[in-house]
Amino acid sequence: MTSIWSGLAIGAVYALVGIGYNLVFIAYTTFNFAHAQLMMFGVFVTYWGLVVAELPVLLVLLIAAVVVGLVALVEELIAIRPVKGIHAHLVTTLGMATLLDGVTRLIWGDQVLKVPPAVPDATWTVLGGRVSVVEVGLIACVIAVTAALTVYSRRSLTGLAMLAMAEDRDAALLRGIDVKRLALGVFVFAGVLAGATGPLVGPKTFAVATLGAALALKGFVAVAIGGFGSLHGALIGGFVVGLVESLTGRWLGSQFPTIAVFAVLVLILLLKPAGLFGTTRERVV
Amino acid sequence: MLARILRIPSWLLPLVLGALLIAAPWLGISAGTRRLLLLTCVLALVASGLNLSFGYTGELALGQTAMYATGAYLTGYLAINWVNDLALLILVAAVAALLVGLVSGVPGLRLGGWSLAMTSFFLVLLVPQFLDLLERFTGGAVGLVGIPAPELFGSRLGPLGFYVVVAVLTVAWFALIRNLITSRHGVAFQVLRESPVLASSLGISVYRMKLTAYAVGAIPAGIAGGLFAYVDKYLSPHSFGFTMAVTVLAASILGGAKSVYGPLVGAAVMQYGPLRSTDFEQYAQIVYGIFLIIAGTLVANGLAGLANQAIRRLRARYAPPEEIPRSTDPGELPPLTGARLEVSDVQKSFGGLRALGGVSLTAEPGRITALIGPNGSGKTTLLNMICGYYRTDAGTIRVGEQDITGAATHKVARTGVARTFQTPLFPEHITVREAVAAGVYMPHYVGMPSSILRLPNYRRAAAADRADVDAVLRLVGVTHLADTEAASLPLGTRRMLEVARALVSRPKVLLLDEVASGLDTDEIERLADLVRAIRDAGTAVILVEHNFGLVLSLADTIYVLAQGELVATGTPAEIQTHPRVLAEYLGVSQEAKA
Repeated sequence: MTSIWSGLAIGAVYALVGIGYNLVFIAYTTFNFAHAQLMMFGVFVTYWGLVVAELPVLLVLLIAAVVVGLVALVEELIAIRPVKGIHAHLVTTLGMATLLDGVTRLIWGDQVLKVPPAVPDATWTVLGGRVSVVEVGLIACVIAVTAALTVYSRRSLTGLAMLAMAEDRDAALLRGIDVKRLALGVFVFAGVLAGATGPLVGPKTFAVATLGAALALKGFVAVAIGGFGSLHGALIGGFVVGLVESLTGRWLGSQFPTIAVFAVLVLILLLKPAGLFGTTRERVV
Repeated sequence: MLARILRIPSWLLPLVLGALLIAAPWLGISAGTRRLLLLTCVLALVASGLNLSFGYTGELALGQTAMYATGAYLTGYLAINWVNDLALLILVAAVAALLVGLVSGVPGLRLGGWSLAMTSFFLVLLVPQFLDLLERFTGGAVGLVGIPAPELFGSRLGPLGFYVVVAVLTVAWFALIRNLITSRHGVAFQVLRESPVLASSLGISVYRMKLTAYAVGAIPAGIAGGLFAYVDKYLSPHSFGFTMAVTVLAASILGGAKSVYGPLVGAAVMQYGPLRSTDFEQYAQIVYGIFLIIAGTLVANGLAGLANQAIRRLRARYAPPEEIPRSTDPGELPPLTGARLEVSDVQKSFGGLRALGGVSLTAEPGRITALIGPNGSGKTTLLNMICGYYRTDAGTIRVGEQDITGAATHKVARTGVARTFQTPLFPEHITVREAVAAGVYMPHYVGMPSSILRLPNYRRAAAADRADVDAVLRLVGVTHLADTEAASLPLGTRRMLEVARALVSRPKVLLLDEVASGLDTDEIERLADLVRAIRDAGTAVILVEHNFGLVLSLADTIYVLAQGELVATGTPAEIQTHPRVLAEYLGVSQEAKA
């Protein structure tokens, strides 16, 4: 049961990455390779704030949100806006991801840095498994974010405009939606979210320069399982990936989790390429 | 003088440079330079594989590094423990890499878009894990040490001999790739990249073709890995990580992803420039990151793209193309075998919207069957269902005796159904001749091996293609434009070209989707003549059209659709006076008439 709790907690992190991918997908129908790196950056900023500068948690959260939001803004301007098409974006956002990896490594080096938890680190026993307060907070928070975003996108005017934009950019433009501004807003929001969750994610993942690549893959698998564009799909996909990883690590040994996750990805692509909650859109001539 | 230089065949310069590369050791280069050339060859081979899938079929893949690692470790291990024969091990490495390509490509290409990029990225990050897992064979993090000097057919190869083998293999691979890209497959790749919709309507299976390009691209990566194992006689996981994947991508983009020889140039620049500096390691990711962003936004097709542009400019300036006289004799259309198209009780809903509610229609060979109706009445939906773009909810569609209900688009095309599109689809940078020739790619399919080796059956097919394409171009009256870029022509000409492209495949059924819209009276006249000629040759023609006058003058039978239902059927004379047609379609109300 302990592994299940820890799987769900790390799965919540993957779900967050997946939600970031999906937000950008909804706004641009494209894939932001660098989203996981944005999140990694948030974790490092958190580390800096809590350990180096010794600032209060709330201030750190604010700083991380603003910094990563700004990085996302820069990314939108230099890597997303000037080019069109999924494949061009894959190259430029991969470039952004590599750049962020390099900058992180240059500033903070290669070693694994421990990020202290924001709340006192107590451990509870729930349903026969041990789980820390941080983990419970992480799981609850990610579920809450997903629920809030889902409700927002269905109920609010901005959310509906977003969905309209995802469906047909030109039609949305003709309806008077400022597509460019709205999309930019979503992109920066995804960055702010990635930064603000830094204090929550950091204690679980630690701050390490390879975090971006690892999160990118697991987040992608989460989205592939849940289906592109589906927020609750990403949540469930994230939990599945986390559980697969933690349970294979527990039963088979530490070399297997990543391979097992890859096997899950291959299986889902072969059996249900659109994911569990994705819709196959019929091609239009 | 310059004009004469520009007429030299394009393969001559690469051939000379290739010979120079092989002969380099005798031209007085240092051992250091020789090593750099060796590494350039290895990187160029890997990047060339990436070009096939990324540049030519438009699927970004990072998995080359995994195939490269497979080739390298397999060669290293077998050379130590089994048999040290370069020729055999290179073959094994190539086959193993091909397998890795297939295993990662089959699931990765299922979803399309970025899923291959991510799956292959994942594959690269798995390399160290697998090396760790197979530590007994690979040496794990320590690396594989003790690889012997290579032997070829029993004799030991010195550094010089090994260099020559690598150079010869590289030159040979690039010659093969050049043959593949300049063959009809090259055009098919480009059509696929620019428009999968068009490719499948020409009978090309998008999935199969992308998988083929990705898998074939694995071969040079495997070969390169096998060669790399002998370069330092030591392999460490460090050489096969994510940085390698990005290096390959950078070499490919720098040289030009959509070019044959670009990878060689890109790899040379990478090896002579950044990769030689030991400080580079620390800043590699930052430099690569910035490079990818800049290259992705600004540089269209790397150094090769710039070179091609320069050559084109020089050509335009100093060697103007000869004027090809406009042909006046359109020639005759050979008889075509038509087939009856039978649509019975077909239904389709999109969500809650009923687009087609049980429509039946028959198009006889040697007749023109028109389909008219107001916007949104379901005409194009019906065409798309016949072509297999949409799935049919109920009902059957048959071509001749064959049931094509629910068949994939490329399968429908292979039964002899050709079509044109409302907006003519022509990929950029493709000449009129190539665009039309794409129409015969599947009907006269020639496998990649015979195309690469230019075997007799390839030559025969190529000659036949040329004759067919010339005949069709003459027929539609665009012979003089054969070497112009198709996408740059005016709408009227592009519409005629679409008909030409459909016609060259000798279709049994031809679907024309609003083929006259946007044309002037003159152009419509020529088009009408062409459509009549096609009908008389025996094909079943289906015409979806808004121009009521054109429909009345062309069609043998007219079907009228409104809100997804068939309203009327009959000859032009009957339809012209049909009360419901007048009311629903032409907007003449009965009272007003009375």
